Formats: sequence, C-alpha cells, structure tokens
Amino acid sequence: MILDLHNHSVRSDDARARVRNYCEWIRKRDLPLDGFVLTEHRLFDAESDYRPLEDEFGVAILKGSEVETDYGHVLLFGVNPDLLAAFDFSRVDLPLELVLREAERCGAVAVPCHPGRPNVGLFAHFERRGPVPGVRIVEVWNGGSRGQEDELARRRAAECGYLGIGGSDAHIVSHIGRCATRFADEIRTEEDLVAALRSGRFEAVSWK
Amino acid sequence: MEVDLDELRQRWVGHDFDVAEFQVDTRRMLEWAESCGEEEPRFTDPEHPDFQAHPTFTAQFVSRKMFPEDFPLIQKGFFMIDGGKSVTCLAPIRPADRLTARSRIADIYEKTGRSGNMIFVVHRMSFENQHGVPVSVVDWKLIQKPGGRA
Repeated sequence: MILDLHNHSVRSDDARARVRNYCEWIRKRDLPLDGFVLTEHRLFDAESDYRPLEDEFGVAILKGSEVETDYGHVLLFGVNPDLLAAFDFSRVDLPLELVLREAERCGAVAVPCHPGRPNVGLFAHFERRGPVPGVRIVEVWNGGSRGQEDELARRRAAECGYLGIGGSDAHIVSHIGRCATRFADEIRTEEDLVAALRSGRFEAVSWK
Repeated sequence: MEVDLDELRQRWVGHDFDVAEFQVDTRRMLEWAESCGEEEPRFTDPEHPDFQAHPTFTAQFVSRKMFPEDFPLIQKGFFMIDGGKSVTCLAPIRPADRLTARSRIADIYEKTGRSGNMIFVVHRMSFENQHGVPVSVVDWKLIQKPGGRA
C-alpha cells in the first residue's frame, strides 16, 4: 500500500489545494497512490470529514499535522485529543524533545520532515546543537526539496540509523504523488498508520 | 526586534482602521477581466445578462492606510514582503456599484521557513455594495522578517 504522507490543503495558510481536487488529480493521472495524509501547518483539522471523498474516489484520506520546533518542522501522525492537549500546535518554537516525548506518550508518531533543509530541517540543527534522542524516523524524500537537500537527508539518516518515509509536501494539486511511502500492511485509519510506522515495515519512494 | 505576538494580536487583531469607497464602472471591470486573461462572457461582455466583475476584481483596490497608526511591526528600514492576496467572492459586483471597504488586521501569526522566522500580518478588506450587501473579502498577507534590514 502506498501513501503520500505529507500534503497540505487550503486549511494550511500557504496551500491552494482542495482535497477533492487532490482526489480528482490522483484518479485523472492514475497515480500509484492508495491514499494520502493531510498534514496542515501548525494545526490539526479535527472538523473536516473526508469519508465521502474516500468512498467516491477509493483513496484513503488521513489526517496529521506539521508542527514547528526548535529543530525544524515535524510531521505528526495519529494526532488525538491527548496530543492536542499536550502542547500548542500553533507555536513555532516547540522543543523537539517535548514533541517526541508527548507523541510517544499519546500513541502518535513524530517524524522530522525535510531534514536536509536549511533552518527548518533537523540536520541543520544537528550541526550546531547535536542530535536529539528519540528520533526514529525522518522524511528522506520530500517533494519540495531543492538541490541536494534530500540527498543530505538520506545520507545523514543512514548515518544515524533512522528509518525513512517519503511525502510530496504538496501545496498545489499537481504536486501530490511526487514522493510517498510504501507499506507492507493495509492502512485505513490513523491508528493503522501509527502501527505501520512503529512496525518499521515501510520504505520511502520517489517519482521526482 | 523582539515582538510579543500574543500582545500584538490582542491589541490589533479585529479592529477596523480605515474605510474607503470605490466606484465601479464597466470600463474598469472589462480592463480587469482582460488583464486576468478571462474569456467567459459574463465577465467580458457588458451585454451579457449576468455581466459582473471578475471574481478577483477587488484585489486591485488598496485602502488609504496599509496598517493602523502606530502599528508596531512597521519600523523604518525593515523588510516587508508582499505575501499575496486571496479573494473570497460573496455576491456579484455590477456596473455602477459603489463599494465601501473596511480594513482591519485579521490575523498576525508566525512561521518558520528556509530563510528563517517570519511574521505574517493579514490585512483584510471587506467590501459591501451600496445596498449594504457583502460582496467580497480580500486578505492581503504581508510578511516581515524580524531582524532583517532592507
């Protein structure tokens, strides 16, 4: 099963894509995706119900978040009320250690994204401040990366022994499906996704 | 420059700081539609029974003040980047409409990116026509990079 784990809809302040349009694009282009995750910036979209779109288009639509920490941006999968209460998603200076610890405690998974990117990538901060314990997975293919950012991410992830996921980081419709993650297991819910990520039975893929 | 965003939001978000009026005419509607590359007749043909302004028509208007007096993010010599406008259409705008636009700071928030921290200020212009009908909302994002000098 292949899921694109990093996408933004109009619920994010800088994205222009509607979720229906993502679905239409996947079907129109016959993209090899079984679903995608919406990881809105600095918030969790608890209200939107995409089940009718899932039924109409036959794609899994899951919800997560992308928060901002002192070590760069981090994807959160399996967001639940406990995690929402643990820290303020809107802040841009969340301590990464706090995010990792609370995600673990609340049954979620935290994944630093575009870790090879200057300023908002994990490894840029490693250079200055050293590694943070608790990181197990990072995004090694990101659809919005420039230059050697993904190459750096893959190299450093291998050095640190981190597992890797892929996500398009799409903000417009045509960018979905650039990168994704292939799972060994069937995933239909956020809980399934958390279990699959914790199992380690996945690999990052890219069509860039 | 140290900025307390919670204090800024509490003081400035939601307060109207300017009112401006704009007269709509057919020529201006057509020029705007043409500049957008619009081809649909209801936006380009004044004889069309549903002739109306292009959906983004109000994006061209600016209020007399970009920010309230004494708005603290504005300091001489600091970067202010245009982050673009988004337009929400609420009702058709017709020839000879007289639009009243009220400006307010709709949001102030922070985010981080490749180039560092940024503060976003959302200047919202809410337009209504001469009948008091809301017709359009334009959100204009302005980005300031704390510490960045022009």
